[in-house]
Amino acid sequence: MSDFTISRRTMLAGSAMLLASPAIPTSGWAQTPKKGGRLVLAADSEPRNLNPAIVASNGVFFISSKIVETLAEASFDGKDGLAPRLALSWEGAADGLSATFKLRDGVKWHDGKPFTSADVAFSALEIWKPLQNLGRTVFKDLASVDTPDDLTAVFKFARPTPFQLIRNALPALSSVVPKHIYEVGKIEDNPANNAPIGTGPFKFGEYKAGQYYRLTKNTDYWDKDEPYLDEIIYQVLPDRTSAASALEAEEIQLAAFSAVPLADLDRISKVPGLKVISKGYEGLTYQLVVEINHRRKELADVKVRQAIAHAIDKDFVVKTVFLGYAATATGPVPKNDPQFYTADVPTYPFDVAKANTLLDEAGYRKGPDGKRFSLKLLPAPYFNETKQFGDYLRQALAAIGIDAELVNNDSAGHIKAVYTDHAFDLAVGPPVFRGDPAISTTILVQSGIPDGVPFSNQGGYKNDALDALIAKASETLDTTARTDLYKEFQKAVATDLPLINVAEWSFISVARDTVGNIANNPRWAVSNWADTYLES
Amino acid sequence: MTRALTLLRRRLVGSVFVLLIVVVGTFLLLEAAPGDAVDAYIVSTGGDAGMIELLRHRWGLDQSELTRLANYLWALLHFDLGQSVTFSRPIRDVILERLPNTLLLMVSATALSFGLGSALGIYAGARPGSFRDRFLSIGSLALYAVPGFWLGLVLIVVFAVDLRWLPIGGIETLASDKTGLDRAADIAVHLALPVAALGFIYLALYLRMMRAGMAEVWREDFVLAARAKGLSRRRIVLAHVARNALLPLVTMLGLQSAQMLGGSVVIESVFSVPGLGRLAQEAVASRDTPLLLGIILTSAVLVIVINLLVDIAYAFLDPRVGASETGT
Amino acid sequence: MSQPCRFLRTPEAVAGAILLAALIAMALSASLLFPGDPQAIAGPALLPPFQAWSLPLGTDRLGRDVLAELFHGARTSLAVGLAAAAAALVVGAVVGTLAGFAGGLVDEVLMRITDAFQTVPSFLLALAFVSVVGPSLGIVVIAIALGTWTGPARVARAEVLSIRERDYVAGARVIGMHPLAIAFREVLPNALPPVLAMSSVIVAAAILTEAALSFLGLGDPNRVTWGGMIAEGRTVLRTAPFLSIVPGIALVLTVLGVYLAGEGIVETTAVRRGLS
Repeated sequence: MSDFTISRRTMLAGSAMLLASPAIPTSGWAQTPKKGGRLVLAADSEPRNLNPAIVASNGVFFISSKIVETLAEASFDGKDGLAPRLALSWEGAADGLSATFKLRDGVKWHDGKPFTSADVAFSALEIWKPLQNLGRTVFKDLASVDTPDDLTAVFKFARPTPFQLIRNALPALSSVVPKHIYEVGKIEDNPANNAPIGTGPFKFGEYKAGQYYRLTKNTDYWDKDEPYLDEIIYQVLPDRTSAASALEAEEIQLAAFSAVPLADLDRISKVPGLKVISKGYEGLTYQLVVEINHRRKELADVKVRQAIAHAIDKDFVVKTVFLGYAATATGPVPKNDPQFYTADVPTYPFDVAKANTLLDEAGYRKGPDGKRFSLKLLPAPYFNETKQFGDYLRQALAAIGIDAELVNNDSAGHIKAVYTDHAFDLAVGPPVFRGDPAISTTILVQSGIPDGVPFSNQGGYKNDALDALIAKASETLDTTARTDLYKEFQKAVATDLPLINVAEWSFISVARDTVGNIANNPRWAVSNWADTYLES
Repeated sequence: MTRALTLLRRRLVGSVFVLLIVVVGTFLLLEAAPGDAVDAYIVSTGGDAGMIELLRHRWGLDQSELTRLANYLWALLHFDLGQSVTFSRPIRDVILERLPNTLLLMVSATALSFGLGSALGIYAGARPGSFRDRFLSIGSLALYAVPGFWLGLVLIVVFAVDLRWLPIGGIETLASDKTGLDRAADIAVHLALPVAALGFIYLALYLRMMRAGMAEVWREDFVLAARAKGLSRRRIVLAHVARNALLPLVTMLGLQSAQMLGGSVVIESVFSVPGLGRLAQEAVASRDTPLLLGIILTSAVLVIVINLLVDIAYAFLDPRVGASETGT
Repeated sequence: MSQPCRFLRTPEAVAGAILLAALIAMALSASLLFPGDPQAIAGPALLPPFQAWSLPLGTDRLGRDVLAELFHGARTSLAVGLAAAAAALVVGAVVGTLAGFAGGLVDEVLMRITDAFQTVPSFLLALAFVSVVGPSLGIVVIAIALGTWTGPARVARAEVLSIRERDYVAGARVIGMHPLAIAFREVLPNALPPVLAMSSVIVAAAILTEAALSFLGLGDPNRVTWGGMIAEGRTVLRTAPFLSIVPGIALVLTVLGVYLAGEGIVETTAVRRGLS
């Protein structure tokens, strides 16, 4: 099987420049890690189900990835962008019908029982495939898992499944939980979902709702030198401004996932003892997307969609909404993806005159009040930036004679309005790119998805050629051929604009100088932190 | 004593109806909301149609509204508040965990606003129309006019970040294993800022009420008589005027008890206090209908009990309240 | 002494009247001084105040003119306050009058409903209601009114109870007027003054509630409100404090103005009623 050859690091260097990262203080980076200490950090949400094998989401990983480990983790310089965790090596068969994982020896669960291939088989068959939000798609053709010995697991697929997809899915989808804990009773009701038991460098300590999660050091971790920290405390800080205050007051040492608002970063970077870090999230790229309801006759016209694309000043969005901590987007795959991204797609530079001409051509002339037509715009409420972009988009649309009314909902209301009721004309959404377009990207434009599925094509868009392309890519086994198909996919999406990709962003961490080994992998915030340490 | 018992009995019967209205009203309101608990949950996870159906079934959301309301009321008859869908724990436990924090915050804030407010009100009302009267009354109004969240944020910046006298929030030092007096002191330090923010907002209320009450009492016969007797001004103010002006403030305490919980929603959020107000906000956001019902019910019972106590206290304090009082 | 003179007797009332007049002037002149959409992007983002002539109070996170937003915000804040107070007073007066006048079962039922609304924290009710229906200006007004109508209802009922036994009501009964006509033509107008006296408190509370809802992200995004401006500005409280201080001061002055003027009016009318 041929492999993709562009080094991940080269690509990342490019994207780091796009992300306009401020200077990263390097003090303490090359020092020898110290043992001990309690790391206190901010958490803005409280996931109730902490089982990452069932709920593969960043909110859960943020806490659980330290307790429950995956088969492999993302890496800046590892082969295929991966570093071994519970699996030491992995290989896909040429026919796409099986994949073999060699497992790490001498690993113990937090309760002392040994970790074996039976746990992997159980997790994959009983949890990832039937219960996991993402695994239900990726592992849908998984038929069985053979365990010839304690350290070998062979995944058997009913239909050919591209190994590239499985490999790309490993960091997020392959959390392994203990069979002996979960085989009793209903998996969804297992108490370990709220107090997870894993193989990771930290054990689950306690959770005080509304206050904190406490993780404690696993003294029996398979890497004998690690972890360095004695304890990790996640302090629940629900208000968006409290993380910055807590950092300054030295009550916490780290705020990840942009808990400090972007607009405050410039000021806080000047506070002595604090550093702003924009690395460590390369594998967690969020996309700023304008979702379009194609049931509206105006929006079903590609000229109108192109006009809207031309009306958006992407540079302004990156500069003002994201204060430079983002990159402009060209299509459905982010620029910082090392495997699939292509720049060879039609682009829509900011051009109000051209947008107006396109709308005139489409037959929507300005009325006496200067308006062509009105529509409802629903910005997703999950991020400050999606709401702010909604405010901006309303102004951008006004400039081309489209009168947009903003509709503000809370999260549940937004999900229902857009993905179940289709009660929108335009929506602003933040889909996540998860390292492979087949995991959660093609679903954004593919037709035939039942109502109510969030973060999917609910705009009524149907393009047979694009559907065929997506279907073909999903069963193409050869990595190069598959990658090329996804490049074609990007071109097709950028041409017909079923949705408009505006920008790509990730998160920012702010930490005290004393925290070491931050951001040393592309999914750092959701990795296991075995090597994170505190100076004195 | 019989008077108090009659009052108590009438109140209890009325309260059952009130609670029923509250429960059914809240239930219907949240059921009318766009999106249910599953919609709120999948915001952070995503998932396909099958998974969503699975979740709806597990959380009992595939049953009709009426069935669920009936089930809820039936369980309630057995003093069972049900299970929270988001916490997957009994709601009673979830609420009992937060209730003390909110009670502590509310009682302290009420004590602050009532105590300081009425004291300053007496001070101001002792000399109606004087500079100090005007200054205090307008100053407290200005405080009342400041949005609570804003006052909270400024207090944090000044006292927690710049001066570092007090912690930025929370109820106690995290995972500190403190006990006894140490723990009490720790909690007091953590609650200082939120209590100040919440208490100062309502300060104006008691101050101005005290002042207005005193202005009225000044004109009454017994005060005039006392003045004619040549009693000292201080004595008249404290023994006659203030004492009589205090009664309406006690009633206000009862009326305000519900509003304090509302005010604490924002304050708890700004100061990261794990209380009932914030929990209610989370319950609305996550469409956890049974949890919100449990919280509203708890707060309603609390309000009813407080008002009952206030009324009983009033009945003993003020002979003018007769047994024939219309009692609503 | 004529009424305006009496009203202007205390410096507080004068100050209140001036503040209110300024607020109304701002609200009325907003479209004249700042035509067009106040949310339009007018300059570079986060421009501090007093830097550019055309943008005297600077710009916000997206580059919108803070002064224009302030003027247009006066209009919405005032509209929200007045509309919510009007709704609360009307509903409260009607419910209170019906309950007090009808007595018996009607009274019992209406007052239990009033109790129910009073036992639920009004801000929580507003929060839940807006989350459910979705934030728009009208919904915010209704949400605030939902939590505030109980006060006027109780006051109206108490007044009605004392009025309904008076001679002129008995007279109206004798000449065979319809009970509802008596209630709303004879009793309600006389019960109104103490109810209206509560309006300043409700207007002030409504403006503050709108601000708190905006803080929690439940404001109308198509309109500028001061609460919304403060909520927007709080994420940059340390970097650009003026963004929340400017509308904050406006809010404080407005609430003060409404209160003081309201008190002045109550005192004036109280004196008048006392004299008549």
